[in-house]
Amino acid sequence: MLKNILVCLEGSSSSEAATRVSIELARSFEATLAGLAIIDEPDIRAGTVTGIGGASYKHERDEVLLADAHKKADDWIALFERRCREADVSARGLEVVGRPADSILAHMSVQDLTVMGKDANFRFETESDDVRTRDAILHRASRPVLLVPEETPSKLGTKVLVAYDGSGAARRALESFAASGLALAREVHVATVDDNGTAAREMADRAVSMLLASGIVARPHNIVSVLSNVEALYEAAHKLDAGLMVMGAFAHSRLRGLFRASVTRGLVERSAIPLYLQH
Amino acid sequence: MNVVTPPWAVAPFVLYLLLIAIMPLFFGSFWEHNRNKLLVALALSAPVVAYLLIARGWGGGEELLRTACDYASFMALLGALFTISGGICLRGSLAGAWWVNLAFLAVGAVLGSIIGTTGASVLLIRPLLRANGRRAYVTHIVVFFIFIVSNAAGLLTPLGDPPLFLGFLRGVPFTWTFRLFPAWAMVNGLLLAVFAVIDRYLVLRERRRLRPAQMPVFLGITDDGPLHLEGGLNLLWLLGIVIFVFGIGSYGSRLFGESYLRSAIQIIGTVLLGALSFATTARHIHERNRYTWGPIIEVAVVFVGVFLTMVPALSFLAERGATLGIVRPAQFFWASGALSSVLDNAPTYLTFASLATGVVDAGAGVLTAGNLGGLAAHPLGQQLLVAVSCGSVFMGAITYIGNGPNFMVKAIAEQHRVHMPGFFGYVLWSFAILIPIFGLVSHVFF
Repeated sequence: MLKNILVCLEGSSSSEAATRVSIELARSFEATLAGLAIIDEPDIRAGTVTGIGGASYKHERDEVLLADAHKKADDWIALFERRCREADVSARGLEVVGRPADSILAHMSVQDLTVMGKDANFRFETESDDVRTRDAILHRASRPVLLVPEETPSKLGTKVLVAYDGSGAARRALESFAASGLALAREVHVATVDDNGTAAREMADRAVSMLLASGIVARPHNIVSVLSNVEALYEAAHKLDAGLMVMGAFAHSRLRGLFRASVTRGLVERSAIPLYLQH
Repeated sequence: MNVVTPPWAVAPFVLYLLLIAIMPLFFGSFWEHNRNKLLVALALSAPVVAYLLIARGWGGGEELLRTACDYASFMALLGALFTISGGICLRGSLAGAWWVNLAFLAVGAVLGSIIGTTGASVLLIRPLLRANGRRAYVTHIVVFFIFIVSNAAGLLTPLGDPPLFLGFLRGVPFTWTFRLFPAWAMVNGLLLAVFAVIDRYLVLRERRRLRPAQMPVFLGITDDGPLHLEGGLNLLWLLGIVIFVFGIGSYGSRLFGESYLRSAIQIIGTVLLGALSFATTARHIHERNRYTWGPIIEVAVVFVGVFLTMVPALSFLAERGATLGIVRPAQFFWASGALSSVLDNAPTYLTFASLATGVVDAGAGVLTAGNLGGLAAHPLGQQLLVAVSCGSVFMGAITYIGNGPNFMVKAIAEQHRVHMPGFFGYVLWSFAILIPIFGLVSHVFF
């Protein structure tokens, strides 16, 4: 069961949705919630070519951006703590200075689940988007992550689609999902995407058996589609009206990812429902 | 005493320019302190000073004295223009419409040659950012601002850009740069035209996304009041600088003869006008412009090393220019421009002007790197100097480090929450827009 939940605070709409979802999860599981706001000082102060006379302007710019980052972090934590008090959720705000990916990874190692906005930009002072931090966390985290799109309601839906490909990451995601309690009172479906029907069914059955061992009844589906894996899973989740998708994150090596489109990245970009991911 | 400059004497200059470019990237916290910059400058200047005094005797000492005068004149002018432009503030709101932005940049293109590209950038960048504060796409506006106001604008007078003022200090007549008008008009005109097309397209794209209720906000209709100027007295001090520098350059030798006396009067005059500006400007104007001594002190410290280490480098190029293979105006345009884009354009200008002296003089010993007036008057030298001036001024825009105001504008834009491209992202903009225009300039003029 979820006892400790971390939510990453940041100003985007998807982070706002992540906060809503995490407060609701903490309330329903009676878990302790930690809200993490990050001041990305290393990237703000990072060395850059400045030209003659530029160091003074860089120093001034760094100070302005740092002050703004501190103010935003303070505001987000204050708002988060107020909303948790109103929801009667045990919570604490954390303000840390450091690289976003490293800071989140360090804090999520003692949490049962980390909730993040899908489009969160933790390097908002220096970059217009921040796929790098999200990918780094999904590649390196040993604990599960719940990625929340901005249109997600506070309560997760009643149907869950588990996308299973037999990889180590998919198995770990399945195990931690089963242990989390998120399957309680939810209809669980397991989907495999493969043209080889027999192999796919065996793979789906294995996943169903694993869930059953944890007391969770799930229905297997083998999707045979002309669509890409990403589109096929997206369509399946849509047809099922799933409110949550569970899958292994970046099951294959980064080198392989250079040559083949990543299903994880594709689904993260495409999905309009929360994704429960584990590497 | 006619001493041939050994190649090793050029090494401190080359090394110093490389350090200026890479130290902020790899040793940012060390390079942040002016004391450390000064130590590096003095460490690399020491062997040069020793070489000049030992190998050239009295001649070397005189070169150092001449260099000190040039340095003081250069810094006095930069400091005065920095102080005066920091005392002028444009207030009030403007709509971020494409034609307003275009007008802003066009004004900047003219102003850059009057108050310098740094001054024009300081004066105009904040009002322009305020006017576009509600626009979704602002990055392109700042990039074109750097192209036009911070660089290409400064070609018409020695006040416009430090390289041209260095040329002026070394004898290029004040009005000589007026002949660069066709190139100035072509580059600025084309940049303004390209900007207008891009900005108009992006404005229309933004408008399509807005609901009618959002239009007044989008059009910049706010309650900041109409556009007005604060610190107008500084325009008087600015006029004083223009008249004074022009007068000293045109009539100084007749009035004062002795060059050291002329330099001293020039330094005292410009410092006095800068001091008058500082004393008569209300504190709140400096605060609004975030005026501090930091940038000018940093420039002063870094240029100690530039001026000292470049003495033998310039002599070397003047002595052997004809043998280095760069002889045609187009070559001078592209070579001086390429180096200006990655090193500061002021020392690059003098380097290539000295090289041009060597090419034109061809060992005759008539023209010297210390007096570029002869080069500017020579038929071939004139063509080469036009190419060097255009290359150094225009191509300082190619990277953030090519010219002083580039990074300043980037930093101010980022303080206003504009996400600016990184070093290489900005270079992509430059290659897409500037290089084709420079290719046309090279084809037409060189």
